[in-house]
Amino acid sequence: MDKTTHFGYKQVAESEKAAKVAEVFHSVAAQYDVMNDLMSAGLHRLWKRFTVAQAGLRPGMKVLDVAGGTADLTRLFLKEVGETGTVLLTDINFSMLREGRDRMLNEGKAPPAVQCDGERLPFPSNHFDCVSVAFGLRNMTHKDQALAEMHRVLKPGGRLLVLEFSKVWKPLEPAYDLYSFKLLPLMGKLIAKDAASYQYLAESIRMHPGQEELKTMMETAGFAKVSYHNMTAGVVALHKGFKV
Amino acid sequence: MIAEGLIERSLNHLLLQSPGASETLRRHAGCSVRFDLTLAQYDFRIADDGCFSEAIVESPDAVIRPTAALLTRLPFFGRDALRHAEYSGDPALLATLDRVFKQLGWDVEADLAPVVGDIAAHRLHAAGRDALAGIAHALSALGHNASEYVVEEAELMARGVDVTRFNNEVDRLADDVARLDARLRLLEDRLQEVQARPA
Repeated sequence: MDKTTHFGYKQVAESEKAAKVAEVFHSVAAQYDVMNDLMSAGLHRLWKRFTVAQAGLRPGMKVLDVAGGTADLTRLFLKEVGETGTVLLTDINFSMLREGRDRMLNEGKAPPAVQCDGERLPFPSNHFDCVSVAFGLRNMTHKDQALAEMHRVLKPGGRLLVLEFSKVWKPLEPAYDLYSFKLLPLMGKLIAKDAASYQYLAESIRMHPGQEELKTMMETAGFAKVSYHNMTAGVVALHKGFKV
Repeated sequence: MIAEGLIERSLNHLLLQSPGASETLRRHAGCSVRFDLTLAQYDFRIADDGCFSEAIVESPDAVIRPTAALLTRLPFFGRDALRHAEYSGDPALLATLDRVFKQLGWDVEADLAPVVGDIAAHRLHAAGRDALAGIAHALSALGHNASEYVVEEAELMARGVDVTRFNNEVDRLADDVARLDARLRLLEDRLQEVQARPA
């Protein structure tokens, strides 16, 4: 019998999760950026800028943006690595990747965009100076496998940045729950015409490992000097780890 | 996490802005440097391009410890204050680091230009520089006035020149006393000799 995993609060067969996540992102892709701005009041831009600031990038470096979707991080990475560097935008979901790729093309940039699974990266080992995954790890079925793959493709000394929703500061939990379970689906319904996807977003955040758990997962995957930084009272956390 | 990231980013930004700085460091590519702030240690490796890269280091090739003297002097003396840091490790690497750090300069105008435009950046930079010079001048004048009040008007402290004169007088007095003491001893010796002679 197929093993089960969580899809929000539901338990689904592992083989079904990817398809269900894909369905969510196919549905929200067109309104993804607008919804991000609305849901976070623009804060996601600051979170992403902070992430890029922690990447330690310099001209000529190679970066892999896993689950890069609409290319928010890729655009910022490109500025850092310059003409001589490489940024690879990847996503398992074609609709999201197309949004990102088109957005880049509209800005006159054409970084390589690759549709691939974060759990089976089609890249050589010891290849990238930096790997990032922003708001993507949560949706992966086998997070440990994905982390191991990211570890594999990093050069020794390279760093992984995981930007993800996390466990919010305890006193803020009631207000955060109210916002996530009442307001988010309503906003999704009104703007993206899809309440269910935003209900999934709220649930998947609750099911995602907290700060310390993710740190342990990264250490188990082989990363060293793993640290994290909470942003907006722990609504999101940036985890950073190095390949030795 | 934040501090290391910020130090790395700031140092590399300054290195790339200062002509020849990263090229100079490139010859030490692979070497590790630790900034030891006592409460926290930040480790970096010099990358192939001559920039600093956050790294995991067990025994660094060079350790730089900013001292209290450095931190208090840094805002006023800038790069000249760097000699107050404590350095240990590979002398060649330390000499290069010292040379590179002393030539680092922040081109504020270049950083502002993409945000506000060239002309505004130039004017903002000039205004900021003038404002800082004005503040430094005001602080210096305030310190001078305060010291003058304490020394001249309230006479709570002695002037340096008076302290020196007093010290000189004490020295002279000590010499005079020593000479007098010697003469007295001589007279006492002679007196004893005279008294010891047979009548």
